[in-house]
Amino acid sequence: MIDRPARGAPSRAAATTTRTSFGGAAAPDPRLLHNLAPIRAVDPDSVGGPALGAAPAAILGLVLAVIVAVVPALVPAGAAVRSAATESAAGTAPAGASEAAAVAAPIGSSHTTAPAPAPAPAPALAPAPATATAPTQAGVPASSSFFPYPVHKKTLPNGLDVIVLPMHEFKDVLSYNTMVLVGSRNEVEQGKSGLAHLFEHILFRHRWEGKEGGYDAAVNRMGAFNNASTGSDITYYQPLTFTSNLDLLARLEADRFGRLAITEKIFQTEAGAVLGEYRRLASDPSLRMEEVHSQVMYGSYGYGHTAIGYLVDVEDMPNEYKAAVRFYDDYYRPNNCVLIVAGDVDPARIFALAEQLYAGWQQKPIPALGDPAPLGGPKQQEVPWPVDVPPRVEFCYRMPAHHTGSKDTAIGQILPELLTSETAPLYQLMRYKKQTATGLFTPKELYQSFGPGPFVLTAILYQDKYAAQGKALLSEASADMIAALQDMKSFSARADAAQTLQELGSKYAYDLLSGINSPAHAAEIFGEFYRFERDPQVFDKLVGSVRSLTPQDIDAFAKKIFVPENQTVVTLIPGAAAAAAAGTQ
Amino acid sequence: MNRRTMLTTAATLYFGILALAISADAAPQARPPGGSRPRSQADSHTGSQAGSHAGARTGSHANPQIVTLPGSPPLVEVRVMLRAGSAHDPAGKEGLAALTANALLEGGYGDPAKPVTKDELARITRRWGENAKPSVLLDKETTTFVFNVPREVLAEYRQTVLEPLFTRPLFLKEEIDRLRNEAVTNLTASLRYEDIEILGLEALDDDVFSGTSRGHTVTGSVQGLRTITPDDVRSFYVTYYKTPNMILGLSSDDAPVIDTVRAALATLGTAPKGGKARTLKAARLAPPAVVSGRELTIVGLPDAPAASLHAGFPIEVRRDHPDFWPLYVANVYFGTHRDDHGVLYQHIREQRGYNYGDYSYIEHFAFRPYALFPPFNTPREQQYFSIWIRPVAEQYTHHILKALTWELENLWRNGIPPEAVELSKNKAKVLYLNLAETSSRLLAAKMDDAYYGTQPGYLQSYLTHIDAVTPEQVNAAVRRHLRPDNIKYLIVEKMEKARALANDIRLDRNTAGKTPEEYQISSAEQDGQRVYDIPEARLHVLQQDAVWASTRLGIDPQRIRVVPVEALFETGAFITEGVAAGGAAATASAAGPR
Repeated sequence: MIDRPARGAPSRAAATTTRTSFGGAAAPDPRLLHNLAPIRAVDPDSVGGPALGAAPAAILGLVLAVIVAVVPALVPAGAAVRSAATESAAGTAPAGASEAAAVAAPIGSSHTTAPAPAPAPAPALAPAPATATAPTQAGVPASSSFFPYPVHKKTLPNGLDVIVLPMHEFKDVLSYNTMVLVGSRNEVEQGKSGLAHLFEHILFRHRWEGKEGGYDAAVNRMGAFNNASTGSDITYYQPLTFTSNLDLLARLEADRFGRLAITEKIFQTEAGAVLGEYRRLASDPSLRMEEVHSQVMYGSYGYGHTAIGYLVDVEDMPNEYKAAVRFYDDYYRPNNCVLIVAGDVDPARIFALAEQLYAGWQQKPIPALGDPAPLGGPKQQEVPWPVDVPPRVEFCYRMPAHHTGSKDTAIGQILPELLTSETAPLYQLMRYKKQTATGLFTPKELYQSFGPGPFVLTAILYQDKYAAQGKALLSEASADMIAALQDMKSFSARADAAQTLQELGSKYAYDLLSGINSPAHAAEIFGEFYRFERDPQVFDKLVGSVRSLTPQDIDAFAKKIFVPENQTVVTLIPGAAAAAAAGTQ
Repeated sequence: MNRRTMLTTAATLYFGILALAISADAAPQARPPGGSRPRSQADSHTGSQAGSHAGARTGSHANPQIVTLPGSPPLVEVRVMLRAGSAHDPAGKEGLAALTANALLEGGYGDPAKPVTKDELARITRRWGENAKPSVLLDKETTTFVFNVPREVLAEYRQTVLEPLFTRPLFLKEEIDRLRNEAVTNLTASLRYEDIEILGLEALDDDVFSGTSRGHTVTGSVQGLRTITPDDVRSFYVTYYKTPNMILGLSSDDAPVIDTVRAALATLGTAPKGGKARTLKAARLAPPAVVSGRELTIVGLPDAPAASLHAGFPIEVRRDHPDFWPLYVANVYFGTHRDDHGVLYQHIREQRGYNYGDYSYIEHFAFRPYALFPPFNTPREQQYFSIWIRPVAEQYTHHILKALTWELENLWRNGIPPEAVELSKNKAKVLYLNLAETSSRLLAAKMDDAYYGTQPGYLQSYLTHIDAVTPEQVNAAVRRHLRPDNIKYLIVEKMEKARALANDIRLDRNTAGKTPEEYQISSAEQDGQRVYDIPEARLHVLQQDAVWASTRLGIDPQRIRVVPVEALFETGAFITEGVAAGGAAATASAAGPR
């Protein structure tokens, strides 16, 4: 085990790379791909870097997480094509700009509406006022002071939210993150899946100072780790460097987001790289399973395809330059972004820089998305697989969209613990008692989505037992899984129901907290939850809602969600090609 | 370049070091290296409420060294490091240190009539988060327990977990039997047959130290584990689990937190109930034998998809050595772990595609191949230089053995150009962002500082030291410490091919690298001859292959041996004589999972 104490922290980072640590049974979550297709994890040497202990599992997760190194390619110089955003950058400030107030909300302070105060020198973790830290049940930190660092916020006239999390004990560290609220869900044009992900690549090819490869070269000269990832809801850019590089990095970032300059040739090269990435992943059944359940569950709605896109679309991408420019123009807007700067930084300095560098970036209304058509379940699909991999069974349900503070969202946060942690009855049954499954998991991250994201309960079954029993094993596993889901409808009848919820609420809070252990992690976790209501106090509401759940809430949730009309079952049938061939002879 | 990072940093600049109350006899069996460990320093951290307990910690020799981070976080990380690792295993009882640590966590504690079992422990700690359940990090010289405790439940945690688990262990026989069986299986099935990379890395670490108490793997030996009794575990516990033998790390400098944890551990090592414990004879951690000349061990496996290549020799350089930082920069230049910066990586993988990666190390690096950055809390008084060549196709094994040798010889002979030193210094600085990534890393690094007696601390002084390194220092350090004449090579290879490979290497003839066709260089038939159209830029690739091919390894044929993998990890010796290939374990493996 290496010293990464962030196990189980419900953060997107699980799908990127370094912080992978799937605590306990909530194991590697192949399906994270749906929500997050991180790219540009720049270890040239591969994927990797899991917390030990969870190593093999984590590696699997990483492989599935679509990590590639983006290496500079030699591309002939061509005319820079600037987006419409750039052309209109000199426009006047939109109406209402004067209303955009600078709001400083240091969490943990009782003066949440006061202007940004200078932070106390080097607080390790901002101590909350005594009145706000009264221990609560099970000893969870009082929700009014949950997030351990002060939060400074300012919204620029163009709608760009600027968040600063001073963490001075991380001396000289600058974590400068841009969250764009665009992902594969926004790819609603037929045949254009994968554009959000492609754009994540494209932004690294920005012609800084008019030079091909200029942005990447400048970042390398400066010295930084520079990664990004794309999911169904968001695209996240997260360079990390020394605070002394603040001015240059801020200029580099403001330039590529507000004044992206690329050539069609570069676009085509990068589109080819994404195709290579798809092919690398295609040998793993997880991607195919995700493609199938997404399609069955959502059809043409944005969640109906994976972040990397359909192969046919990815192959056609080099021809979609115009569509890509349109996509950038629609979504890479300041009012659709959150800038989160964490580390050894001064909020006033960040705000001043942001005002100076991002002011010319013009806002524009973001295209609205509709709702998916009713599912009309139950639905079922088999996925034949030519190779003898372990079979899988997935039970999928549409979840309510995220609303911080709601019971549905709170339950989503602990659902993996209830169903697939080591203490869960289903886990004990399938992993230990019957030994039908080698793995049982639910992705932890899917319940935080702008739209009605998927809940997927996956069992990976023993290959040798499948060889002996065939589909009887699949039937048995399915029966056990559906029984466990049905059993949730009478959760309150369990003798230990209340205690279980109390412990899980407490565990949730502590795991969340333990993930906030570095500037980059703090920014990432903050952004992940802040994005919904743009409320700096979001964690107080979130943790409070999880801790106030009752056993009856679980019953009601299960009765609403785990119903046939909302159900999709997808089964991976290995060796099917061989079997089919044998059958036709 | 690597992925995300974060960094923290010199947070240590802020914090004063709190190395306290170290007595000269603090670690009778593992004398502190360097001899410069700070003694009884006054608290110099910035916290305002820290003064009251300072005196309490400086008075007694029985106190542990305590290292803290400033502040009062809601979650307190606790790291308990003991100066006891597998190098302290008694001869014939290899695996005792690891088994003791695991049995402390999983062997039950508290009232013998009503023990708190491992399952009960998991249930008790669940509400405090995933990391409230202690875990352990094992290495050759140290054992480190790690857990996080919410500050406001510390008193309850102390009462239900911390104090009884550490001071009233039961070491239940059935749990020890289970843990022993798992450890034996780890050696006989997993380590020997599952992953040739891990096998090679572990084997080299043993080979370099063979003949000393560091010369067996942390898990132990098959025969050693089988002889260990619960009373042996109790004896190891009472001998080495003592507060003067402890470095206690806390991510908080809150006086009540420090006092609570320290008090909870005060009776550590008191004879546990349920058996007999005796004080063991203190282990002697002898330095490794000087490597003179070159030698090669080929470890033969029943089957292997490729060959994994390793080389190494002991070095005297540790973090407290004046040549450490110049050598660090040299190593960044030569073989940065899991990164494309290094020369080995560039020449073998990047330009020629022989494998997946090629790296070098001046300190032991735990948790390869998975870890991207070296973990802390595996400090060692005795370090070694090593090269790791990830698996290559077997037809190139000899060729790449020559390649790594030529590269090391070239480094030693010609040094590093000043401009490359500068680039490597920049690279080293960016690596710092990962090394100092989290508060957990900061804390663990400070504990290693206490172990080594380095001051200012490793991370605290990292950037300053890197800045100060000159090309002259780098090249002088390379000349002094990386002499390529005295080296142990180790190759993991399919047994079927091993003897032929050994013979080839004994003959030391020219090898053949990749062909022009393999480098996708086009050719045409001209006047009955094949003529290659070699682009200017590719010419040096072929030329360098030719240089490697004609390099002489000069290994004394008598010092080239082929051993079956079953001869490894069997006893405390690096190689157990008389073990035939394909024993029971090998058969079991062949019948097991692919």
